[in-house]
Amino acid sequence: MNGETAAADSVAGILESLHRHAKYSLGRAWPELSARELYTAVALSVRDRLVERMLETDERNRKADPKRLYYLSIEFLIGRSLGNNLVNLGIRELYRQALRELDVDLERVEQEEEDAALGNGGLGRLAACFLDSLATLGMPGCGYGINYEYGLFRQEIHDGYQIEKPDSWLAQSTPWAIARTEESCIVPVHGHIEHAADRKGDYNPMWLGWRVLIGVPYDTLIAGYGGRTVNFLRLYSARSSRDFDMQIFNDGDYFKAVEQKIASENVSKVLYPADAVIAGKELRLVQEYFLVACAIRDITRRFEQNHDNFRDLPAKVAIQLNDTHPALAVAELMRFLVDEKNLGWEEAWEISQATLAYTNHTLAPEALEKWPVPLLETVLPRHFQVILEINRRFLDRIWAAYPGDAERRSRMSLIEESTPRQVRMAHLAIVGSHSVNGVSAIHTALIRASVAREFCELWPNKFNNKTNGVSPRQWLLKANPGLAELIRAAIGDGWITDLCQLRELENRVADDAWRAAFLELKLANKQALARVIQESLRIRVDPASLFDVQVKRLHAYKRQLLNVMHIIEEYLSLIEDGRQPTTPRTYIFAGKAAPGYWAAKQIIKLIHNVGRVINNDSRANQWMKVVFLPDYRVSLAERIIPAADISEQISVAGMEASGTSNMKLALNGAVTLGTQDGANIEIREEVGEDNVFLFGLSAAEVKRMRQDGSYRPRDYYDRDVRVKRVADAFLSKAFCPDEPDLFGWIFRAILDPNDEHFHLADLPAYLEAHERAAEAFRDRQRWARMAILNVARIGKFSSDRTVAEYARDIWNITPSTSGIDMQPREERQPMQFKAEQVPGSDGRVLP
Amino acid sequence: MELAVETINNMTVAVVPMDELDASNVAEFKSAIAPILQAHAELVLDLSRLRFVDSSGLGAILSCLRQLSAKGGDLKLCGMTKQVRAVFELVRMHRIFDIYATQQEALRALAR
Repeated sequence: MNGETAAADSVAGILESLHRHAKYSLGRAWPELSARELYTAVALSVRDRLVERMLETDERNRKADPKRLYYLSIEFLIGRSLGNNLVNLGIRELYRQALRELDVDLERVEQEEEDAALGNGGLGRLAACFLDSLATLGMPGCGYGINYEYGLFRQEIHDGYQIEKPDSWLAQSTPWAIARTEESCIVPVHGHIEHAADRKGDYNPMWLGWRVLIGVPYDTLIAGYGGRTVNFLRLYSARSSRDFDMQIFNDGDYFKAVEQKIASENVSKVLYPADAVIAGKELRLVQEYFLVACAIRDITRRFEQNHDNFRDLPAKVAIQLNDTHPALAVAELMRFLVDEKNLGWEEAWEISQATLAYTNHTLAPEALEKWPVPLLETVLPRHFQVILEINRRFLDRIWAAYPGDAERRSRMSLIEESTPRQVRMAHLAIVGSHSVNGVSAIHTALIRASVAREFCELWPNKFNNKTNGVSPRQWLLKANPGLAELIRAAIGDGWITDLCQLRELENRVADDAWRAAFLELKLANKQALARVIQESLRIRVDPASLFDVQVKRLHAYKRQLLNVMHIIEEYLSLIEDGRQPTTPRTYIFAGKAAPGYWAAKQIIKLIHNVGRVINNDSRANQWMKVVFLPDYRVSLAERIIPAADISEQISVAGMEASGTSNMKLALNGAVTLGTQDGANIEIREEVGEDNVFLFGLSAAEVKRMRQDGSYRPRDYYDRDVRVKRVADAFLSKAFCPDEPDLFGWIFRAILDPNDEHFHLADLPAYLEAHERAAEAFRDRQRWARMAILNVARIGKFSSDRTVAEYARDIWNITPSTSGIDMQPREERQPMQFKAEQVPGSDGRVLP
Repeated sequence: MELAVETINNMTVAVVPMDELDASNVAEFKSAIAPILQAHAELVLDLSRLRFVDSSGLGAILSCLRQLSAKGGDLKLCGMTKQVRAVFELVRMHRIFDIYATQQEALRALAR
């Protein structure tokens, strides 16, 4: 540690830094700063420390020249950075003290920061957790994405309906981003292929007539816990090649010139919501290509700084494709190696395949990306040629392995022979990668058995599982400081970097005082959330009631509707049968629906209408409250998750790849009430059958019912009066007194034998699971034991474990930490992780 | 726009004077080079001042090669900056042009 850093890591140093930024970065005297400027001054001051550590990390990597990982993702759901950075740098208390001397409250400063909502949900948040873990593990790994000017829309609720408002999160003016304009790159799109011969007379297709976009990188620095490694997330903004196309401008068409400039910049303008109909949307295709082109250009540029032979690329570079959105990387890397570096096809293919790896996130056929051939050929004519050549060679191989099996060849082809023909991006990613992984054990098994069965027969060793994980720093240390402190006092803080150490808490289960402290802490978190609910919705909820939480994207397969059906059943039992619920409950929802997803938006309306009726019914509202917190985002999740008692994870089995909110909630002492889907199954394995409430159809049963058409919802309706009463409620005016038949469509959907989501089949088991949960909750000591055991046994689901497995099995990268002082810095929390070790999935340490 | 044209050992060298060759000035470039292409069958085009070339600029340079080839002549390129070379590689045009680091090398090649 040099003297400058030491000074900066003192209260006096921080005060000096804050005043310097107020004066020289913002041009203000300290007392004149607005709240926003105050936040900016603090952020810039913290950024200085990040920059110092980043330069140290760069220097270390420059000397060691390790293999590096580049994580390509169309989404990075970062949330707020100030708190994360203070926690990971271990300087939160110092900043709190320094600001206190200036009569400023750190929490209020943190509230000023806009969430960077550059993602829809799990996929983008996973990418953010991975960056945290990579840096914490000391791994040389960075992210590449798009610097969307507008993140996911801001959700407002008007009369129970979702209204979307633009989310302008200040992409270029966030204090965390460092513009790297000198490393901008050009990205051609459109144009045509000119078929010509090269100097030797060989066929030489030339890509001409394109328009050019400029990719301008902005780096956000990512500190690992302990601050020893600071990596970066590089996000690209699209710019036009010049302010106006001067030719058009000179020709007198000012508006056309402006339009062209805007069209170029539109590429990074907005994040597409999940579930939006993007098939055929040219802008989305250009976005995906823009990300890939910028990333490959930058990655190869970095490689060429130290290496001149691209045969060494897989030894120095690993590229992970987060879902199929960056799958064009296969074609782009091949184009680069063959066209620009003059490598032969076979050699380029070996290099490319050995460098790229692909993570699958979905089994739903409708969610597997395809691009119409006419569109892809128009936007990326050279890449289309490359894809055709990959496909030709691949199909030759299939033909050789399965002679005469034309149907198999057609099923496996990268091109679907539909009208119009479509490029199957998942097939491109599978064929072009050396590794294909699913994100939970059941999901990977289903990939092997269904969507990629024939690929798996061809390349069984290519497929592997990497169960998702979440960052313990983000989702416990930062989100739930009270629980973190309670744990720290009990077992130290090794868990922060080795989450399996939470197992030691099992010894506290029998400790009456500790259980009481745990319950007290949970109550405090619930009181805090109750205040948020009161401020946001003007609804008073009882912190002593069971907080039953479902927070996630609104989607039919996630079955928020099933949750509402249980609420309706509880309510009708109470007011019609006089059956009091076993325990008072607060049902808490949050999540966004894609703007064009009518059914999901109707479910939001349903939740509000049901809530309005119940919350205003004096017969019920002492027992039940239903709230929907608007604008779900990372910073709101940090308030809800620590306060949850029950974690609703009720997707129809076989549909949720993994889920990560299930992990975050269990880590914070919520008990999972869920289906046998995604990571729920592994959570049950870890925390024990007695500490979760799993229910309902298995994935195999769902599959069988789909295949043999044996699902008859009418049978459940006729057989079970509870089911009938709930279903009938959608036909009545009970929850829509002013708009009859508003929810009649739900009755028809759940009684349709083609209901893809098997609501009525699972409803009885779901009601019974809730009853068991309510009984357990009523016994406060039993519930405390269950909740504590969830925390204690959730260690497997740290993203550190996930990233360590990727590093070992797929990327072949190791920590780049040699020669650095691993002793804790003064004023910091000790860092338990040792450079040569990574925590294993079973709590062991992997070499 | 005027291209600086020089004759060295009976061979012609034209220096592209602008630092960007794109849609905004490609018409000017074409007009300026047309008489040179008409007057000479063999030519060295010096691109050392060029910092940026877009698709229309590439098209114009390709057109020079085609015109000279059509009458049995030849075009050599020299002095490309790294950025311009990268664009040639991007579209595979480096495979159809003879590209040299310096004027001298290009002239030697033309003389052979």
